Amino acid sequence: MPASDAKASKAPGQSKNELVITRVFDAPRDLVFEVWIDPAHVAQWWGPHMFKTTVREMDVRPGGRWYYVMRGPDGNDYAFDGVFLDVAKPERLVFEGAIHGDASQKVWTEVTFAQEGDRTKITVHQVFGFESDATRGAPIGWNQQLDRLVAYLAKR
Amino acid sequence: MPADHLSTTFAALADPTRRAILARLAAGELSVSELAQPFEMSLPAVSKHLKVLERAGLVTRGREAQWRPCKLDARPLKNAAEWVERYRQFWTQSFDRLDDYLEKLKSKEKTHARKRRKGE
Repeated sequence: MPASDAKASKAPGQSKNELVITRVFDAPRDLVFEVWIDPAHVAQWWGPHMFKTTVREMDVRPGGRWYYVMRGPDGNDYAFDGVFLDVAKPERLVFEGAIHGDASQKVWTEVTFAQEGDRTKITVHQVFGFESDATRGAPIGWNQQLDRLVAYLAKR
Repeated sequence: MPADHLSTTFAALADPTRRAILARLAAGELSVSELAQPFEMSLPAVSKHLKVLERAGLVTRGREAQWRPCKLDARPLKNAAEWVERYRQFWTQSFDRLDDYLEKLKSKEKTHARKRRKGE
């Protein structure tokens, strides 16, 4: 990895149905944003190692559909069907959707692109299992209440 | 673990009062009225939340005692945590690839820039 702090890190205070990951990329924000929204670019890097992503539809505007298929090394296909909720070039992308066969509930995802000199810090915030229409665009704010619960789990 | 179980778990966790109930039960068994006290909620309101937690398998109710103590069952939380962990791996690995890809794009860009300068 070129950037020394290019590491996925866990944000403090997050909990069971939420995920926050940040990483700094050694590239200008316009470029990083571009490779996120251009299907030809997305196919080059999206997905875990050994996965091949085919973007079937990517209409990057609010209400636009995003449909892609990831083929795993085992030959299985994982299709994601989602919709963009917010597109603010080159700062923010919000989308929600579900991976078929993995979970029936939707995952809400917000990606922010922050310029840090010549670098770009990406923060991915995902919320799982929200009630889609009622809380659309409004992730569930987790507080620290589950700290004790987490400690309890650790003891098991 | 079937997806609908996960949905139930996540839906149960989506409410702050229910999370607070779970956090309190992590310290030990409590009756419904004991649970209701700090929330300034009616017993029926707390019972409603408990039902959601019970359906999600996060809370079990004792049968022996008349006060039917509420007890935390953390197993569904573990499953949910594993599921979230898979997403974490997805991002970590995608970011690795994005990193490599951006490097490739940048070196290509440099090559083009050199060619452009040579052509001038």
